[in-house]
Amino acid sequence: MTTARGDVGSLYLHIPFCERKCEYCDFTSVAGATGSDAYMEALCTEVRRLGERLGRLSLDTVFIGGGTPSLVDPELLAGLVATVRNTFSVAVDAEVTMEANPSSVSTGRARAWKAAGVNRISLGVQSLEADALSFLGRVHDADRALAAVGEVRAAGFTSINCDLIYAVPGLGDTRWRRTLERVVAAGPTHISCYELTVEPGTPLHTQVRRGLVKPVEGVRSMRQHRIAVEVLERAGYAQYEVSNFALPGEECRHNLVYWHNGYYAAAGVGAHGHLPAEAAAAIGLDVEAGAVSMRYWHGRGIAAYGRAVGAGLLPVAGSEPVGPGMREQERVMLGLRLREGVRIGASSLVEARALEGLGLLAVDGDRVRATARGEAVLNQVTLRLIGDQAA
Amino acid sequence: MRLDRIRNFSIIAHIDHGKSTLADRLLEATGTVALRDMQDQVLDQLDLERERGITIKAQAVRLAYTASDGITYELNLIDTPGHVDFAYEVSRSLAACEGALLVVDATQGVEAQTLANVYQAIDNHLEVIPVINKIDLANADAELVRREIEEVIGIPADDAILTSARQGIGIDLVLEAIVKRVPPPKGDPGGSLRALIFDAKYDAYRGVVVYVRIVDGRIAAGMRIRMMNNKSEFVVDEVGVFAPAMSPVDELLCGEVGYFIASIKNVRDSKVGDTVTDAAHPTTHPLPGYRAVTPMVYAGIFPVDSDDVTDLKEALQRLNLNDASLIFEPESSAALGFGFRCGFLGLLHMEIVQERLEREFNLSLITTAPTVEYRVRLRSGEVIAIDNPEMLPDASHIDAIEEPRTKATIIVPSTYVGAIMELCQERRGEFQHMDYQPGDRVALTYDLPLGEIIHDFYDQLKSRSRGYASLDYEITGFRAESLVKLDILVGGQRVDALSMIVHRDRANAHGRKLAERLRKLIPRQLFEVPIQAAIGGKIVARETVSAMRKDVLAKCYGGDITRKRKLLEKQREGKRRMKRVGNVEIPQEAFMAVLKMDEQ
Repeated sequence: MTTARGDVGSLYLHIPFCERKCEYCDFTSVAGATGSDAYMEALCTEVRRLGERLGRLSLDTVFIGGGTPSLVDPELLAGLVATVRNTFSVAVDAEVTMEANPSSVSTGRARAWKAAGVNRISLGVQSLEADALSFLGRVHDADRALAAVGEVRAAGFTSINCDLIYAVPGLGDTRWRRTLERVVAAGPTHISCYELTVEPGTPLHTQVRRGLVKPVEGVRSMRQHRIAVEVLERAGYAQYEVSNFALPGEECRHNLVYWHNGYYAAAGVGAHGHLPAEAAAAIGLDVEAGAVSMRYWHGRGIAAYGRAVGAGLLPVAGSEPVGPGMREQERVMLGLRLREGVRIGASSLVEARALEGLGLLAVDGDRVRATARGEAVLNQVTLRLIGDQAA
Repeated sequence: MRLDRIRNFSIIAHIDHGKSTLADRLLEATGTVALRDMQDQVLDQLDLERERGITIKAQAVRLAYTASDGITYELNLIDTPGHVDFAYEVSRSLAACEGALLVVDATQGVEAQTLANVYQAIDNHLEVIPVINKIDLANADAELVRREIEEVIGIPADDAILTSARQGIGIDLVLEAIVKRVPPPKGDPGGSLRALIFDAKYDAYRGVVVYVRIVDGRIAAGMRIRMMNNKSEFVVDEVGVFAPAMSPVDELLCGEVGYFIASIKNVRDSKVGDTVTDAAHPTTHPLPGYRAVTPMVYAGIFPVDSDDVTDLKEALQRLNLNDASLIFEPESSAALGFGFRCGFLGLLHMEIVQERLEREFNLSLITTAPTVEYRVRLRSGEVIAIDNPEMLPDASHIDAIEEPRTKATIIVPSTYVGAIMELCQERRGEFQHMDYQPGDRVALTYDLPLGEIIHDFYDQLKSRSRGYASLDYEITGFRAESLVKLDILVGGQRVDALSMIVHRDRANAHGRKLAERLRKLIPRQLFEVPIQAAIGGKIVARETVSAMRKDVLAKCYGGDITRKRKLLEKQREGKRRMKRVGNVEIPQEAFMAVLKMDEQ
């Protein structure tokens, strides 16, 4: 095993099926679970093929995202996890996360996931307010969401995340605070709070364009973000990344790999991976001279994915070489999202001091982190720090 | 060619009145350009010229036309630039001709710019042949336009030719009229060489191509020639004609139009209006009318990225090879860093240079607001010329500031006279006279400061007359006025590139408007940015750009880092078009804000 491949300790798997497509979602997903048998088989085939090409990687984190992985037959999921375990060397204390939606959670299903080797569940709660849930196109209600937390816990899961969305039109600060407090009371170990963003190609985008929906303005959205920080930190959840909060020791290790600009293999439609140059070459990507690593992504079509895997091809739709300059910029861009901050090069120090003077950054030796005010304008802070030169 | 078989003519027309289309038809009808090679508007060679529908450089083309008398004539068409900025070039192109087609749009009538050029043609003793074009259009009124030509311009228009260049109507009549009515050139075929330079262009492979009209004598390859103005001498490598591509000939004879190439490295050595003579047998009498062209408008051009200053210099030098009227010298600004102070013939010339620099040399530039050249009389008695507000000495040393004045002619339908007079008053214009013309139009004459004309006057003129007013102006002299320097402070720091010289009575209002406009143009920054206007250290206006409240991507899109980085890069693209002054990022257009102050 070479060092470069040894750096790859994470795997992302994508399962695209959903009960229905949410109004705001632009992730790769389709409504209904039709064809999930064939898809899961193709996914397992891709995992095995990755193993053939990358060797038996030591995995520290596995993340099964979607879509709604909880929707597929638990036996198929168990088969997927087993394939991963047979193909790679999954550490004893590895974090194996699966995303689940409250509507497809039950104690029985949760037990099956646990038995399969999943040890962390991320629940798509999003809101506990009926009008917000309906606006977002979610199929569950507040009771179901809270019950799901209990069911997952009853099945033996000790690491549970709840995803929440703020800046939902019509959802005022008071009701947002109430949602946060009720979720806290349900006792998850991790809470993510994402701003509702209007992505091109989504039904929400169409509504906004037609003037039927008015997005929440930035200042109010930022206020709701600050409410989340305030409520959650008071409840003992530390904000370790802009949108992520965890009880001590419960940070999501898989997502930290992203923010630490680390490497991860990927399988399944729409999945994105990041591999060191040598590992990228090993899976068959065209690696440009001078590239330190490659970012690559799968196509979004399920049928095409199945055909490609069946034909023994690498179902990759695109890739991008990362040179030293871009790597450094991405490292700073991602690291600035973390509360622990990020190291910066000596050449950025003057700019960092200027940003500190504006109350946007805290500088500690060669490490900087965004202040609460800096976090609100993190893009600008990032651009200032990485300079205005292209990579 | 015998002199009596040569006809040299140009076409005078307002933009959009059909000059280029008519020229195309003449080329086609004489077989100069085969139909299949016809690209619309052959003569406008720069992309910019095609896009803007104007001619910037003069062009010349030789047509062979067999007239109804059975004789084949050599017709030389000299296409003139179509904008007031290039008035001198126009005058030299006209001086190279014996006749001119005056093309007037049958639906529009005579415009101010046309008027100015026709008067130049008349002054040069040209035979003017009126051509009323676009007669195929439903709203054409040839009779009204005919009357207008007679009454406004004062030339007979009974035998005006009715054409539709687009439909090819009347083209033969135009060609016949050129042969019958334009006089053949006069000149001394045996005399020593006198050739008038009416344009020159730089060719990277061949050096300068000089466009000439031979007035006396002949020119051929191998001859040693002398430029009479700057005394420089060259040996002619090649002479030729445009047909319409450059085609070498053995010699150019008295009366003919064509080009020569003589290893000339710089267009400055072949100035428009200069006389070329035979170095071995020089004439003692240069052709009349030469004058050095001086810039009317000045502005600073700076690279957005300071590292590009060398590239900018090289690009200016390259443009300069082909455009001797562009002058530039290094300038350094506290706000914008190193750049160049450039002098232009006018606003259009400035825009063209800026556009070519950006387009052909791929530079990202900031152009400061244009200014005119002021004459400053100091208490010491010294008189200095100031083309940069930044260079204005302290008020305590100044006795008087004189500004350039113009005689401006505006032709406008009578409905809009009130609005246009109001505009002229606002711009410190002094009313001279008003003439009513046929077709319910009015010619207004004002004494206007040039400094006002270059500040959004033309756009205002157009918008307040629904596009119907046309303008022409000429410099009349300098006059002392109560002028002061208006400074702009952004984030508490004076931005030298935003300083301007304004009339004292209007300084406060100007300062308020400019600050307000800048507030709209400067995007929110990471902190609050005050914008202040000051006169002699006294703040007269203040606006504030409030701090940016939110700019963060909440989601991290799973492992899709590429997408996040690209969103950030898009933002960076936007920032790259801005200049950082102190801690504040100022977009390029802010430096031109002063130009658009009347916009709401």
